[in-house]
Amino acid sequence: MNLTLLIQELVIGLTTGLIYALIALGYTMVYGIIELINFAHGDIFMIGTFICISIFGAFGITNSSSAPTGFNLVGVLVVTLLGSMVLCAVLGVVIERVAYRPLRNAPRLAPLISAIGVSLILEDIGKLWKGITIVPFPQIFPQNTYYIGPVSFSSVDILVFVVAIVLMVALQWMVTSTRIGRAMRAVAQDREAAALMGVNVNRIIAITFLIGAGLAGAAALIWGLKYGNTNFTLGFTLGLFAFTAAVLGGIGNLVGAMLGGVLIGVVEALATLIPDSTNGGFGLPHGGAPWHVAIIFIVLILILVFRPSGLLGQQTPEKV
Amino acid sequence: MAIANALVPARDTRALLIKWIVGLLVPIAVFTFIWSGEAIINNALLGLLGLLGVSEISILIQVAIFILIFYATVIALAGYLVAADSGLRGTIELWIDIAVFVLVPLFLVLSQGLIIGLALCAIIWVVYFFARRRVYKALNYTPPTPLLNLKVLDAEQRVEVKNRAIMGSFWFSAALAAVWLIVDLIFYAVGQLPTTLLVWVAIRTLILPVAGYFLGMLAGAVALRRTVAAKNGGNGGNSADGGGGPASRQSQLQVLSTTRFREEAKDLVPNDLPLRSSGAQRFYLILLVAFVLFYPVIDPFLFGFGTNGRLAGYGDAGYYVILALGLNIVVGFAGLLDLGYVAFFAIGAYTWGIFGSTQLTNVLNLAPINPHLLSALFWPMLIVAALVAALFGVLLGAPTLRLRGDYLAIVTLGFGEIVPIVFLELDAYTNGTNGIVGVHSPSFFGIDWSVVTPVPYYYLILALIAFTIFTNVRLRDSRLGRAWIAIREDEIAAASSGVNLVTTKLYAFGTGAFFSGIAGAFHTAKLGGVSPDSFSFGDSVIFLAMVVIGGIGSIPGVIVGALVVYSINQFLLAQLDTIAADPSSVLFAIKNFIITHGIQGFTFGNIRNLVFGVILVVIMIYRPEGLIPSARRRRELRHTEDEGVELGALDVVPGAPGFESEVRVE
Amino acid sequence: MGVEQAVEQTNEPMLKLAKVSKHFGGLAAVQDLDIEVLPKEIISIIGPNGAGKTTVFNLITGIYRPSSGDIQLAGQSLSGLSPDRVLKRGIARTFQNIRLFNNMTVLENVLVGQHTQLKARILGSVFRPPRVVNEEVEARRRAIELLSFFGSELIERQEEYVINLSYAFRRRVEIARALAAKPKLLLLDEPTAGMNEAETLDAVKYVRRLRDELHLTILLIEHKLAVTMGMSDRIYVLDYGRKIAEGLPEEVRRNEKVIAAYLGTPTKRGQESQEEQEGVE
Repeated sequence: MNLTLLIQELVIGLTTGLIYALIALGYTMVYGIIELINFAHGDIFMIGTFICISIFGAFGITNSSSAPTGFNLVGVLVVTLLGSMVLCAVLGVVIERVAYRPLRNAPRLAPLISAIGVSLILEDIGKLWKGITIVPFPQIFPQNTYYIGPVSFSSVDILVFVVAIVLMVALQWMVTSTRIGRAMRAVAQDREAAALMGVNVNRIIAITFLIGAGLAGAAALIWGLKYGNTNFTLGFTLGLFAFTAAVLGGIGNLVGAMLGGVLIGVVEALATLIPDSTNGGFGLPHGGAPWHVAIIFIVLILILVFRPSGLLGQQTPEKV
Repeated sequence: MAIANALVPARDTRALLIKWIVGLLVPIAVFTFIWSGEAIINNALLGLLGLLGVSEISILIQVAIFILIFYATVIALAGYLVAADSGLRGTIELWIDIAVFVLVPLFLVLSQGLIIGLALCAIIWVVYFFARRRVYKALNYTPPTPLLNLKVLDAEQRVEVKNRAIMGSFWFSAALAAVWLIVDLIFYAVGQLPTTLLVWVAIRTLILPVAGYFLGMLAGAVALRRTVAAKNGGNGGNSADGGGGPASRQSQLQVLSTTRFREEAKDLVPNDLPLRSSGAQRFYLILLVAFVLFYPVIDPFLFGFGTNGRLAGYGDAGYYVILALGLNIVVGFAGLLDLGYVAFFAIGAYTWGIFGSTQLTNVLNLAPINPHLLSALFWPMLIVAALVAALFGVLLGAPTLRLRGDYLAIVTLGFGEIVPIVFLELDAYTNGTNGIVGVHSPSFFGIDWSVVTPVPYYYLILALIAFTIFTNVRLRDSRLGRAWIAIREDEIAAASSGVNLVTTKLYAFGTGAFFSGIAGAFHTAKLGGVSPDSFSFGDSVIFLAMVVIGGIGSIPGVIVGALVVYSINQFLLAQLDTIAADPSSVLFAIKNFIITHGIQGFTFGNIRNLVFGVILVVIMIYRPEGLIPSARRRRELRHTEDEGVELGALDVVPGAPGFESEVRVE
Repeated sequence: MGVEQAVEQTNEPMLKLAKVSKHFGGLAAVQDLDIEVLPKEIISIIGPNGAGKTTVFNLITGIYRPSSGDIQLAGQSLSGLSPDRVLKRGIARTFQNIRLFNNMTVLENVLVGQHTQLKARILGSVFRPPRVVNEEVEARRRAIELLSFFGSELIERQEEYVINLSYAFRRRVEIARALAAKPKLLLLDEPTAGMNEAETLDAVKYVRRLRDELHLTILLIEHKLAVTMGMSDRIYVLDYGRKIAEGLPEEVRRNEKVIAAYLGTPTKRGQESQEEQEGVE
């Protein structure tokens, strides 16, 4: 196998992985704080992509050729980024309030099923909003290709990199250095004790959902700019990948989620390199690409079986 | 004469008689005269008499049997209800209940078809519940508790119960005969009734009351088994054999807590709600089984043309029921959230698909097997497919054993995704996206099983469902079932009580997968083929929804949940679209409104997932125990008013003042 | 030959912990613990909160694995066994916070306790041959018999869901469930926790009866010193995971280290005020 190809795929994987990481943060934060797999989170991301398209539409941008330039471009991007993040954040908070908070004290199964229900609802809303076919996303960010040696990357990749890293650093700072961040960590460790210390648990949980969903909104914009399309089923698939990433890194662990996201992106990219075995030889039938979902899941299962707390996670033994 | 004495009602009994006879007669009359109950009988008779040229004698005989069972059961039920009623609940209340729960469904099913009719009923019933509760609150009315009415009956009262039953059945059948006679005379006068049938009219009018008398005796016997006898059959504590006689059970009940007592009291005679008692439920069960068994022959009478289509649909609904029951073992009994159940369904489906067609022999480069042999091999392969699925249940369950609930869910979801991909991509063995076609139908002693005749499949799925229900009930009440519930409740306590977590969980996965293997093989046989598109995470969600909506862990609940979800999935929304195509309907207007106001892609069928999602969320918030909860679940998810766990004095720390002085131990 | 007879013949301890330690990360929950329990003894483990007593139980019953050391039942090592295997060897336990199966009845809880005594497998459960039916009948009879150890009240409540019972009754059901497995050694984790005086005396009585009538060896964790002193043959005292004292109740009661562990070392002021008081008298 070609080294160039390998490195190229690594670059691709890194870029996609950063987007997965942003989404994974939402999963890991929510799970860390209320031990719920928020099935609907991936679909919030999907709705975010539709929101971005609509905001572009409001600016009169309906396809890649009507892209603005210069300051206009920056302005549009900033507005869309903020708009998407804010609206997704609101959506996240509303969902928590309506579908999860009433079930705060119900047995474990109930909020999980409710989350599945919300996911179904969001998917159909997506279906009704933009139809069932693939929806084009105006790629208004200039797509200049740069080279380092034989390996290419695009200016969009740089954008992805910058946005993702900035947001992740900001989140990490917020969680470690601000009062709210401390409160979030306290609620994640021991809800009752935090309440006794004067933390408004409901508010903190809402804020957690808000931030997680906001990050998904940002991920939505950069995804669309890079890949140029979206679909109402996108949330489900990416959501699962992102959740796998969160588990891989150790659920509840922010840095772990970031790492996990990148790793999953890389795994997905490398999977496409697996040769096609239909005519003999090593590999998988039809090559690795159609199998990538299965491969990622197998990775997840292997992690959970052999290292259930993920790469960076901590074991919390049950109190007997 | 003694008989005459038994038949003349005392004054208080008269009120009961009127209450129940009117209450039951109205629905029966609707069924008989409006919904072609009479048409069934008359046509069957004419056919049997050779006057209609209907060649299928066997069908007519089946119809006759059904009719016999139906009316006999109803007459006996009437007797039982009269005997079992304590008389405390009002007549009007009862009539309203019957109107809502029996007449409304009858009319709706009549006009809209079985599925839509029942679906509409469900909505109406929910509304009715809430409305009734509001009305009760407004009127400051609380229904009397069954607790107060539990009396021990002496010998004289027991005779009275028996007599009431006889009177109930007798007078009901007499009333029925009278009404029927009048209606038939009217029909005759109008020329609708063939003269030849007048003989039948006369016979019937005479037989009914006589039959009523004897059926009443039967009903009386059923009622008496449920009374609290004056002489206890042994001290409540010592009759430990599972299900000691009804008498000792009742005496046990007398010392139980009020919650449990309240639940059990509705099964005893006399009580306030005989319609809901377990005695009445026996009669409902007979009616239901008769209806389901004879359905293919009476369907043309009840619903007109299109029997085959309907039967095919029911066959499909049937395998949903089996899937729900299987998943119920994993999720409901053992508490393991399986989000990838479709994987085992696919495995079962492909097992028969590969074997029952030319696929296997193609792959192995062998000569094709004789199709007749292949068809006969369906029956053993059904078991093989189930066992293969069970094996994979164990294999795929194994990695999840040490995982906590949510992780387990995700891993099972993963398998639910991986398996269909495997079937899709390994097209050397599975024919990939094209799926496998040409699967041979099963064969059974000369019955035609081709894809276009749904009747054999209907009975096959009934048999499979019966087997599944039987197995599930047996498992639930066994050592293994208790172990599953123990694991669900508290794994550590279960392990410390000797339950091997690994093998018990694997049994749960394996058994659950076994049933989905059966459903899969059936599905392939009926469809005549299998394709990977039929299996996706969306299906796993639907299966889970069936269990959740119906009632986690509850066998009747899960069956109802499966039927409800199936109807919504396959029929309801599609039917709404069909109705909306008619420009004169309200739905058309609604649909237009939505389309023109921005959502172009709107059809009722499109919002299926939306509907499911909303239902799931609403159920989880307002009725997490599901439609028909198991008795356990009701306790778990709602607060019972009787909950008062007393704690003793707080522990006193050693060294604190007064510690040692409090307790002296010799 | 059963465990009991073997043990009685050889005079080996029923239970032996030899240099058992358990570390959770950096925390040593139990260190170098040696415990011996002879057949038909009632032994108590006491110590301040957090001393590691429940951890000891968890180590014995296989919920935790010892970091080092060995645990033996009648000479046979228990290390590495899962809780259900430990139960099969003959050790049953109750929990500090009462872990009953809340959505099962009293009878069903005790029936689960008999899981290891029943032999029905999956096919037997479905088809119910006479052997299985008889087994179930006998299991129910035995369950009632176990409940009768506590008098008739639990029998009357056998169809009651345990979540509706009072605390004291729940304790008894838990013990009955443990007894259902025919153990040789019974571990009771704070059996009188949360009980008032009358209930405590009652509990003491039935613990004694468990040893006297059912010939069980009993190891219990207990906080109420008076209870312990009056009931135990010997006492082990733990503090911070280590054994600080061991012996007959009277010895332990006067042991300085024990008093210090519970009450803290006397301060100078406390000592002076004590001397003052003694001087007055």
